[in-house]
Amino acid sequence: MIRPTSLRDLVLIRLGVAVNLVIGQIVAALLLPVYLDSVGTILVAALVGPRAAITVGLVSQVLNAVISGNFSWLPFALVQVVIALYAAAAARLGLFRRFATAVPAGIGMGLLAASCSAPISYFLFGGVTAGGVTVVTTVLRALGAPLGVAVASASFATDLLDKAIACALVSVVLRSLPGTLAARFPALAR
Amino acid sequence: MIGYVDGTSPLHRAHPYTTLALSGALLFGAFALTRPLEVGLLVLTAVLFAATGRVLRSSAQTALLLSLPIWILLFVLHGLLGAEPRMAFGPVALSVPGIARALVLGGRVTAIVLGFLTALATVSPHRLVEAMTADGVPFGRTFLLASTLTVLPRMRERATQILEAQQCRGLRLGGSIVARLRALGPLALPLVLGALAEVDEQVLALDARGAAGSARRTALDPPPDSRAQHALRWALLALVAAAYAWKFWRMRG
Repeated sequence: MIRPTSLRDLVLIRLGVAVNLVIGQIVAALLLPVYLDSVGTILVAALVGPRAAITVGLVSQVLNAVISGNFSWLPFALVQVVIALYAAAAARLGLFRRFATAVPAGIGMGLLAASCSAPISYFLFGGVTAGGVTVVTTVLRALGAPLGVAVASASFATDLLDKAIACALVSVVLRSLPGTLAARFPALAR
Repeated sequence: MIGYVDGTSPLHRAHPYTTLALSGALLFGAFALTRPLEVGLLVLTAVLFAATGRVLRSSAQTALLLSLPIWILLFVLHGLLGAEPRMAFGPVALSVPGIARALVLGGRVTAIVLGFLTALATVSPHRLVEAMTADGVPFGRTFLLASTLTVLPRMRERATQILEAQQCRGLRLGGSIVARLRALGPLALPLVLGALAEVDEQVLALDARGAAGSARRTALDPPPDSRAQHALRWALLALVAAAYAWKFWRMRG
């Protein structure tokens, strides 16, 4: 785990982890076909930077395993690291400042995340990760798609939608920050 | 049941790093093993691990519940929809290589889940924090792991309150996917913005507790460690490295 630099970073990291783990409750209430379990990682990447965001991603993955009991998902921590680095770069380029740029940034993030998660899912778990994505994989396989293609297609479809919505949501959060609150995050001004 | 269970088993008495190293070895070892028999032995090791911690019944029940959906999906995806050759099994023809792969993958998941559930049930969070403090682990890391778990119920409660409040104001949770996506903002924004507004207050509270200091903290009741346990942890690391070396050597052959 990467060492946070200040108490403020530490508190923001905790907040990011909590957002990652709690936002699922809202998603479940709305019956949306996404996870949004990286909103906290993206938010912290935009507010603080990549080091803190990577910590948010890794701690979220570990605590998610502790809470759910499903420790076989730990290898997907790598995807959170990639998301954190991409989100920090996107924030530096100012892509979260406008909704119109946040959504394409999210699609790019989805492509990158799926490029990492699909091989993990295929090689380590044979395409079965017990999420909605596995149901899509099974349907595609039943329709005759080779396993590798089915796993990749399901990962790309779910990740593109998931990350596009997550980035759009982070963009809305950042634009809704009151001026006094936004001024406390120097990374936002860059 | 997921969580710590009070007890006096050898795993409860062991240094927390030793128990975590054992479950970590199960996790990394699982991905080094590729044959059904090897993975079967790994599952047996996980069962012995849980039995040593005297939490076999509760941990195995939870592990089976958690891995059952994975077993079912593996059976469908690899057993029913797997490659040729096939073997008649009652009314269905199952893929022979598919069933072998499903056994390896399902066994892996079961061993990993059982191993970590055992660690969760036998490693007291308090003893782990004490061990980390005694080891000189910076306060930030122990704080992140321990305090995030305590902040989660509060955040969950707040999410429920926001959900109920917005519904009272007329927000509809159903409808088309676009309508449901539109409802995401009014629900997620107050949660995140409210949490961000509290950051300064929490920083001050932590600062008042001396969290910003870099001095090494003294553990009040550090769990005892021994040379034998230290050696066991290194041996586990060597065992996992050997398992991967064997896997890659076999792949080359």
